[in-house]
Amino acid sequence: MNELSPLLAQLVNGLIIGSIYGLMALGLTVIFGVLKIVNFSHGEFYMLGAYASYFVSQTMGLHPVAGIFVAILATFFLGVLIEKALLTPLYENKVERKDEYALLITFGLSLFLINMALAVFGPFQKSAPALTGGTIDLGVITLSSGKVLAALIAIALLLIMLFIINKTWLGTALRAISQDRDTSAIMGINAKRLGSIAFGLGACMAGAAGALLGPVFLVYPIMGTVPAIKSFVIIVLGSMGSIKGAIYGSLLVGLVESLGVFFLSPAYRDVYSFLILILILLFKPKGLFGGAQWNN
Amino acid sequence: MLEVANVEAGYGKIQILNNLSLSAKENKLTLLIGPNGAGKSTLLKTIFGFVTPSKGSIRFQGEEISGLPSHKLANLGIGFLLQRVSVFPDLTIEENLKLGAWSFKKDSARVAQRIECMYEKFPILKQKRSESAGLMSGGQKRMLEIARTLMPGPRLILVDEPSAGLSPKIAKEVYRVLHELRDEGITLLMVDQNIRESIGYSDHVYVLERGQVSSESAADEIEKNLKQVVESWLKF
Ligand SMILES: Nc1ncnc2c1ncn2[C@@H]1O[C@H](COP(=O)(O)OP(=O)(O)O)[C@@H](O)[C@H]1O
Ligand SMILES: [Mg+2]
Repeated sequence: MNELSPLLAQLVNGLIIGSIYGLMALGLTVIFGVLKIVNFSHGEFYMLGAYASYFVSQTMGLHPVAGIFVAILATFFLGVLIEKALLTPLYENKVERKDEYALLITFGLSLFLINMALAVFGPFQKSAPALTGGTIDLGVITLSSGKVLAALIAIALLLIMLFIINKTWLGTALRAISQDRDTSAIMGINAKRLGSIAFGLGACMAGAAGALLGPVFLVYPIMGTVPAIKSFVIIVLGSMGSIKGAIYGSLLVGLVESLGVFFLSPAYRDVYSFLILILILLFKPKGLFGGAQWNN
Repeated sequence: MLEVANVEAGYGKIQILNNLSLSAKENKLTLLIGPNGAGKSTLLKTIFGFVTPSKGSIRFQGEEISGLPSHKLANLGIGFLLQRVSVFPDLTIEENLKLGAWSFKKDSARVAQRIECMYEKFPILKQKRSESAGLMSGGQKRMLEIARTLMPGPRLILVDEPSAGLSPKIAKEVYRVLHELRDEGITLLMVDQNIRESIGYSDHVYVLERGQVSSESAADEIEKNLKQVVESWLKF
């Protein structure tokens, strides 16, 4: 053991949590970029992802990694359906005050999903099984294999998302819609259909984050509130809509949190990210990547 | 090729187009002129489905297209060059071109072939293929917009003030390209303020005033009446 070990352990912890926040924040960014709305029910897709994975691994007895895939699929399709049912009026010029409409709808959806979870799953905290047992000994620090695997899966999912966004037809079209909706229609792109897919993709990234953090924290109906607030903080400090900003912002928040826990106090864990947000906005009012939009 | 009949359209409660009828003939350049605010852009937007007409019919190759969502028109072979800058600024030039091929994206050989074809026509685009489109000059953006419109091989292109905001030299180049298109058999319906420049090349001219066609004629006739037409705009 080494004097620095606890600090190193916290730093690694921060990176692990940060990469999972990155999934959430990137999901929020995709939705914001394409649909121009802030999804206030993002935390509830996180919660549903955690429950989906919990039931697959705990109740059905399958491997927790299978639970993550089920969580991703379930929250993707739920996201697509919800967008089609509730948000399409935004794009048919039926709604006059779009921002207010989107705020009320997604906020109402958040309350609905929390209460539905309370009624269906009950208020009790459940602990999901770790993704894998054992520890990894690196000499100076020892890490839990479950956490490391969660971070690796998060990073893999982030890379897959970035690949989709930057290299595929779907991603190119989504970026085009985010930059100029009318011109994308002139190209023949059906922005309404792709908007539903974008919402599904955003929702399933939150679902994946929930499934990955379920075993680290606990699974309960309002578990999504704090991570959702943190992903709002992250996308604001990374400049709304910037993909780079979402990813670097997440790592920054993860690191700042664990350093705060180490040097100050674990009691204020959730406050540190707000402090960093306020500091960054004081000096860079447009966020870290101000002006940058949907590029990589 | 395109028939607009008795169309009424506008924004919200404000009606801009009043019982407007006109047509664009195949392989011809039909020119729309008229004072600012006459509704020229609104007419093109209505044809393309961005503005929904409250009355009247719009037919393309005999098929009713009014009420169709805009993204369906690309598949029918209609292109639209907007008045404003419309490149996707944070996409590369090549990505911009690729999106022009959205309607046949599954045919990757054809997509690649069309992109090569555009690079031959507009070498500057090939040179800058991996740069962000937003970084190009105004004239280069316009060329990219034209190339992207040509990607799927449209039958009809709606063109809204192609030379707006460009230097005379670049405007000339834009006109040269557009006139070539007409000679290649693409039908053009073009709005232009640059009357002297464009009338010489057009086949038929409509004058739009207050959302209605106030006069029409073959291009060579209107050149004679041009002075009178412009004077009549100045009256209001
Ligand atoms: N998006 C819009 N919403 C409301 N009114 C508009 C809009 N666009 C144009 N108008 C109005 O419609 C009228 C016709 O505009 P437009 O078709 O752009 O004219 P032109 O292209 O002939 O100069 C103008 O009075 C303009 O103010
Ligand atoms: Mg106009």
